Amino acid sequence: MEYKDYYKIMGLSRSATQDEIKRAYRKLARKYHPDVSKEKDAEAKFKELGEAYEVLQDPEKRAAYDRLGANWKAGEDFRPPPKWDEGFEFKGGGFTGGGGGVFSDFFEQLFGQGGFRTSEQGTRGFQARGQDAHAKIYIDLEDSIRGATRNITLSAPEMDARGHVQVKQRSLNIKIPKGIKPGQHIRLSGQGDPGSGGGKAGDLLLEIAFNPHPLYRISDADIYLDLPVTPWEAALGATVKVPTPDGKVDLKIPPNSRQGSKLRLKGRGLPAKTPGDFLVVLQIALPPANTDRAKAVYQKMQQELNFNPRQPLGV
Amino acid sequence: MSSHDLLPIHTGTVIEEDSLTLEQLCHACGVHAEWVISLVEESIIEPQGDEIQVWRFSGASLVRVRSALRLQRDLGVNLAGIALALDLMEELENLRAELKKMQHG
Repeated sequence: MEYKDYYKIMGLSRSATQDEIKRAYRKLARKYHPDVSKEKDAEAKFKELGEAYEVLQDPEKRAAYDRLGANWKAGEDFRPPPKWDEGFEFKGGGFTGGGGGVFSDFFEQLFGQGGFRTSEQGTRGFQARGQDAHAKIYIDLEDSIRGATRNITLSAPEMDARGHVQVKQRSLNIKIPKGIKPGQHIRLSGQGDPGSGGGKAGDLLLEIAFNPHPLYRISDADIYLDLPVTPWEAALGATVKVPTPDGKVDLKIPPNSRQGSKLRLKGRGLPAKTPGDFLVVLQIALPPANTDRAKAVYQKMQQELNFNPRQPLGV
Repeated sequence: MSSHDLLPIHTGTVIEEDSLTLEQLCHACGVHAEWVISLVEESIIEPQGDEIQVWRFSGASLVRVRSALRLQRDLGVNLAGIALALDLMEELENLRAELKKMQHG
């Protein structure tokens, strides 16, 4: 088991006051809060921070932690000294921030047993429906277009009979309904937390997000594709092949189309009662002037066309 | 045949726009109705329907309530602050999506 240096995690000295601890927590919590932060390991950092604060904000736990001494280094193999908690009166003031979060083995070893952890899950005398559980799952665009069955793995903290928290993983096969949009939820009845006292289990609510697609972008029920076209296709008009999730289609490009023009294929977006649209965004690609013939064509355009794209700039 | 094939396949129901009742929303987020009502009063979430009894919430409200809960619990943000933070976060998200769109081209 690795020793955790809670002071170091919070960037504090061992002599920090309770006010300083609170301020440091607030500041770091803002920085690493998973809703706000875009840092890669924000969630892990936030959990670590929550654990450190859980201990340091509580004078009893902090005193017990301090008693382990200052000579431990973070990550060092750690065994609590025998009777390290002797003489402390733990009121078990309840847990603050964690809200069912999972703390490290180190924390569990020190505070997870005996007097410290007040079990919230204790035998309740009444019947209660289990809590709804939440998870976010990532699917492919094609799953929504055709409907699919996906296997997902969920991990959730569970408390065993002795009050230890463990992360349990379970696997579920779920049906992805055709036409589901990013941000929508699927409700799976009875797959949430178990009820107590014979109450019904809660539901599992899955929030749908889409994996990035190499070709397409999704906006609500509409699908966008950037389509490279030649200058003459855009200028003269043309019929070109376009990939869609349903296969190739012929698309008519009207003459005098401009860079960034959007062409709409109605009803070829995500399926629904009123299906989304498929939008093609034209991207004009310039042929390289890397041969004499290509150069000659550009030179001809230069001579023949009276074209100044900078006219709106007044130059 | 992989082990996945042996598991039963669960078919859920899609939470359509504006289909959650106040009770369902509270239960889904593990919060009290009073707190959700205060979120509506702060217009952090906006249900369809005039009377509490006929309020219907969207799946997006579900996400907002859960974010609001975390902001309050983890950062001690008050309701006005939550409203501001959620709106700014949403705007940021939209801008990031825009940016991605532009880089994509």
